Amino acid sequence: MDPAVAGQYVLNGLMLGMIYAMVAVGFTLFFGVLDVIKFSHGDVVMAGAFTALATLGGLSAGGVVSAAVLVVAATAVAVAAMALLGALIARTLILPLRNAPSLNTLLITLMLGLALREAVRLFYPNGSNPKPFPRLLPADAWSAGGFSLRADSAILLVAGLSAIVAVHLIIHRTRLGLAIRAVAQDPETARVMGVNFEAVVMITFGIGSALAALAGVGDALYYNEINFGMGLWLGVIGFSAAVVGGLGSLYGAILGGFLFAALQTVGAIWFAVPAYKDVFAFGAVILLMAWKPTGLIAEKSAERV
Amino acid sequence: MSATPGRSSLPVAVAGVAACAAACWAFLEAESQWVVAALAAGVLAALPVLDRTGLRARFDAAVHARRALAPALVVTAAFALALVLRDSHFALLMLASVALYVTVCLGLTLQFGFAGIANFAGAAFFGIGCYSAAILAANTALPHLLAVLAGGLAAAAVGSVLILPILRTRGHYAALVTIAFGILFRTFLEVNDVLGGPQGLKVPGMRILGWSFNDPPPLPGGVEASFYLNYVIVAVALAAGAFVLVKRIESSWIGLSFDAVRLDETAAAVCGIDIARWKILAFVLGNFLAGTAGAVYAMMSGFIAPNSFTFGDSLILVSIVILGGVGNPLGVIPAALLLLILPEKLQAIQEYRFLIYAVLVILILLYRPQGLLPRRLREYSAPGPRP
Amino acid sequence: MSAVLTAQGLTVRFGGLTALDALDLELRPREVLGLIGPNGSGKTTFFNALTGLYRPAAGRVVVDGRDLTGATPQAISRAGVARTFQRSRLCLSLSVFDNLMIGDHRNLDHGLWANLVRRRYLARQVGQAQARARELLAIFSAPLAGRMSEAVAALSMIDRRRVEICRALIGGPRILLLDEPSAGMTHDETHELMADLLAVREKLPSLAVILIEHEMNVIERVTGRCMVLNYGRKIREGSYREVAADAQVRQAYLGED
Repeated sequence: MDPAVAGQYVLNGLMLGMIYAMVAVGFTLFFGVLDVIKFSHGDVVMAGAFTALATLGGLSAGGVVSAAVLVVAATAVAVAAMALLGALIARTLILPLRNAPSLNTLLITLMLGLALREAVRLFYPNGSNPKPFPRLLPADAWSAGGFSLRADSAILLVAGLSAIVAVHLIIHRTRLGLAIRAVAQDPETARVMGVNFEAVVMITFGIGSALAALAGVGDALYYNEINFGMGLWLGVIGFSAAVVGGLGSLYGAILGGFLFAALQTVGAIWFAVPAYKDVFAFGAVILLMAWKPTGLIAEKSAERV
Repeated sequence: MSATPGRSSLPVAVAGVAACAAACWAFLEAESQWVVAALAAGVLAALPVLDRTGLRARFDAAVHARRALAPALVVTAAFALALVLRDSHFALLMLASVALYVTVCLGLTLQFGFAGIANFAGAAFFGIGCYSAAILAANTALPHLLAVLAGGLAAAAVGSVLILPILRTRGHYAALVTIAFGILFRTFLEVNDVLGGPQGLKVPGMRILGWSFNDPPPLPGGVEASFYLNYVIVAVALAAGAFVLVKRIESSWIGLSFDAVRLDETAAAVCGIDIARWKILAFVLGNFLAGTAGAVYAMMSGFIAPNSFTFGDSLILVSIVILGGVGNPLGVIPAALLLLILPEKLQAIQEYRFLIYAVLVILILLYRPQGLLPRRLREYSAPGPRP
Repeated sequence: MSAVLTAQGLTVRFGGLTALDALDLELRPREVLGLIGPNGSGKTTFFNALTGLYRPAAGRVVVDGRDLTGATPQAISRAGVARTFQRSRLCLSLSVFDNLMIGDHRNLDHGLWANLVRRRYLARQVGQAQARARELLAIFSAPLAGRMSEAVAALSMIDRRRVEICRALIGGPRILLLDEPSAGMTHDETHELMADLLAVREKLPSLAVILIEHEMNVIERVTGRCMVLNYGRKIREGSYREVAADAQVRQAYLGED
């Protein structure tokens, strides 16, 4: 294969991997802190993208023209809104169910995701059709040979990486992060030590959802199109990435995200029918799960026998 | 709990089933949407009243007092309803569809309610049954009853492949794998022109021993009936068979093993229970039921297309199981009737039905997780002197 | 006199932590062996390794002459080893009878034909099983034997413990591992429990038992021999009196000099 084409594939794969990693980190955070799989996470990504779109619409109507301002403002609003939504979900749906069988939480978040999807489809103006997202990032590209690096790709990669690093720093370098890790390891002891369990859970969900909003906006800025169903498959991929990497491990989620993107890229190259890349990537993930049920980086063991 | 079935329990059981049948008749025959909405409101308001007065518990106990009472009553009610509504294509099609969905949801009850395996690809396994029967009926001379069986076996076979990798893993992995399968199945159908692609496939009507199901049935006395009556008979028979199967499993050592696997795998393993064996059995058997129902559905509809087998459709099936009461096979019936007939009659909410179901299930899980008919304690044989 | 169960150099590690350090243990026929030690000393880890829930990093487990190191929990159960758990692992939403039958899994016919078609045969099996269960429960408490069709969730703590012990016993095991049966019980309930354990000894004399306990009264009354663990290692072995007087043991428990 032509190295320039290969390079293009690699770059696209990296972009995808970054988005998947951001979604996967959310899943791993939620599982780590509460042993919960929040299946609506992918749809929060979608909601973040739509919130950004709505904000852009409002700002443009208000006369704002500067692309930089638009991007920053829309991102900020989306992130804040989704963080609030995440905390709200934790408060009203997840926390009340924490003593019920874990399948109940799985079900309720699955249904929540469906509700979010349908709400956007039904109530957002013309929601059932894909909606174009404005090109706000600089369109110039830097070329060498047949390979070109677009400025927007670079910006998004850097932004995504910074976000993940920021989350890592929060978890490992701040007192809040310490509280989160304490709750993840042993909620009862953490409570006894004075950690406000409910607040920590809500904040963790807020952080994860904020990251999801970033992923949504990044996805929207890169592909310039969003639709109400984009969150479902993204959520499935993010979850499998987190699982393959090892649920509960931050590095595992990142690894899983890029791994899934790599598998999809390989699948896209091998198979003529584009739909099969997903089947291939997912089949490979299932085999990986069968081989290492606790993930490539071991899943946090949740059970005391 | 009484030790022996009292004489008073039979009237309660009959009255309850008759009331449900009457409500169904009203829903199916209602012409205006306002009437339907009023009926629906009435049913919803009746539920807490039934709870408070203890009638719901009495009905549940009465219906389970005798071994074969529940399926006998329900089958009788279904056929009575079908005969009363014999002229209406729509009503009979609805009844048959409900019966087939009940069969699928009984399969889901085996997997999810008993063995604790989440299956979010119910519509996909249903679809496997549909497409298998469609291809066999259209391209081979295989007798249609065998084609129905083949549909079930195909779904069971695919299920056994799907479950093998996730046997060693935890509950949410099964959910993930079935969700992915449920989403990818439709894509798989659309890209394969052999299966008709996005446009779908035509399916010949059922023929058994020369009796064509797409012709109106020859009823005595020159009485006229829609040809769907044939399918109602098959669908209700299938659902009754599935019900008896599921009840027998539940009230046996097999059902107990399923429960042990669902409730505490570690304790079950230490007691010598082979976790993998029971998970496989539950999953494969449940999918077999879904596949056979799908095969009959395909021949009844005459036409199948990928957009009937989406992930959303799988979620509807799961909603029915949850609404009915996870682990109580009888609860599936009223739940299926509600969730399938209402949106057909209330055209205004058709568009919103996914959203409504999602919110409904969320509310149930938050406030009444046991559903319409809560799961009962196991009774192994006909009730007699209790231990 | 050959041992019923032998552990040789059994080692269990979790990442960098050695929970069990080259433990040697021998369980003789018909004896009740006490296993004591401060929290975290590896007692439950030992049970988990014995019953196949943890994979040992080193060492051997031999039951009745058969090497069962690294075997699955199911295989170990088939070899006649039964246990209870420190944190009660009963199926609360199932009836007492159902919970016992989970323990009797080996002796029940699980064939599809037998369960689905031969219903009268199944009913006979159920009847026989009910009689067996009633008999076993009656060793502990006659009223409990009359509550077999109730959900376990409706039972008191001590009755639940009894059900869990019966679940372990109903399959007819050769070795019974009891993990802190008196945990969470009041003084009076512990007394009742002690009487229960002595009744078990009397009714099932061929059973060999390893008993993990923190209640020293129970250990003193019920066990013949004792083993003390600390930090995953055996530090003393002998009768309760010998062990209780040992200076090293006292230091491990009480931190005395």
